[in-house]
Amino acid sequence: MKILLAEDTRDLNRAVTALLDHEGYEVDSAFDGEEAMDYILKSDYDGVVLDIMMPKKDGLEVLTEMRSRHILTPVMLLTAKTEIDDRVAGLDAGADDYLPKPFAMKELLARIRSMTRRSKEYGASELTFEDITLNPKDFVLSARNTVILTAKEYELMDVLLANKDTELSTEYLLSHIWRNEENAHADTVWLYITYLKGKLKSVGSKVGITGAKGESFRLSI
Amino acid sequence: MEKTTDTIYGSHIERMEEIVKEMEKRIMDLREKILSEQGMDPIEHYLARIKSDDSMREKCRRNGLPETEESALQEIKDAIGIRIVCDFLDDVYTIRDYLAQMPDYTLIQEKDYIRNAKPNGYRSYHMILRSLDGYHIEVQLRTISMDTWASLEHHIRYKKNLPCDAELIFKELKRCADELASTDVSMQAIKNLITEN
Repeated sequence: MKILLAEDTRDLNRAVTALLDHEGYEVDSAFDGEEAMDYILKSDYDGVVLDIMMPKKDGLEVLTEMRSRHILTPVMLLTAKTEIDDRVAGLDAGADDYLPKPFAMKELLARIRSMTRRSKEYGASELTFEDITLNPKDFVLSARNTVILTAKEYELMDVLLANKDTELSTEYLLSHIWRNEENAHADTVWLYITYLKGKLKSVGSKVGITGAKGESFRLSI
Repeated sequence: MEKTTDTIYGSHIERMEEIVKEMEKRIMDLREKILSEQGMDPIEHYLARIKSDDSMREKCRRNGLPETEESALQEIKDAIGIRIVCDFLDDVYTIRDYLAQMPDYTLIQEKDYIRNAKPNGYRSYHMILRSLDGYHIEVQLRTISMDTWASLEHHIRYKKNLPCDAELIFKELKRCADELASTDVSMQAIKNLITEN
């Protein structure tokens, strides 16, 4: 687990770095906003801790630049206790959390755990059901064989797998997967269900999808 | 130029050529029948060949078999080979069913490498048929996309010096095979949808 800490107060930076290191994190330390941005562009972090008040570039500028570059790494801001406007601005700019200074080290660690867990656990993860596995990295559906799904097929399969114990209605799928696109209707859902049924068969899976056109669907064996 | 009777197949060659013609006629008739019933020709192309004398002798040697008629016609089962390339997945199985029920041939072996693809991504349906008088035919059935894939894979496999990392090429070929397989299923689903209505 790799963390970037950007904090210009040298003693605090050293103390937090030593603590994170002791907790088993791999830590890079930056002492101003520009250095932080350089690190962010060079490396892939599981979480970034940014002090707001920093020389060269402040924490909010770094955060804004990250998000504008589509870097979605979780970010926690360290703010002075009185700066409510900064906290609001930070959250609006795409921060995942903030921690007012002074803070207890115990709380900092708990928040870092929480922040990095969120991106790991609720992000796309490999899903399985009976003999099938769906890989979010390459859209591969596998059982005895493998096939590669298209983006929409993947989304539909992912939702069916995540809700394997629930019947999902055509309306629910239209709103969640097709986001109520104008041209999407019950026939669209049915066609994609048909694709997936065929693909389950072609990978030699015993899993099928129950449900008729316009009705509710669910994975089954 | 050697006479045909000088080949490893000896006097059997005439009957083998007759079998090739007979199979071709059957396949063409089946094609006509399906076309008139369903309005779509199920076969994109059809190939039949008798393995050349050289290749058959080479195969005997490779398998440690004496270069005899017995080896060429009984031990080795692809002296006569046919390949049927279909437009759609279901056509492959329709033709498989037709071949399997021919009264004058026995299905002695079949392997569904479509539902059980080989690890490299190869997909095809393989059958070995035996005529009542003891001749073998090896049948390969596949879709156009499987055929395209197999021809590229074959070409790469026998290429001496690959210009780049072989592992990368084979990994990418496998990915293409899985994408093509996926598309074959989608095309079949669309075809079914339009023919239902």
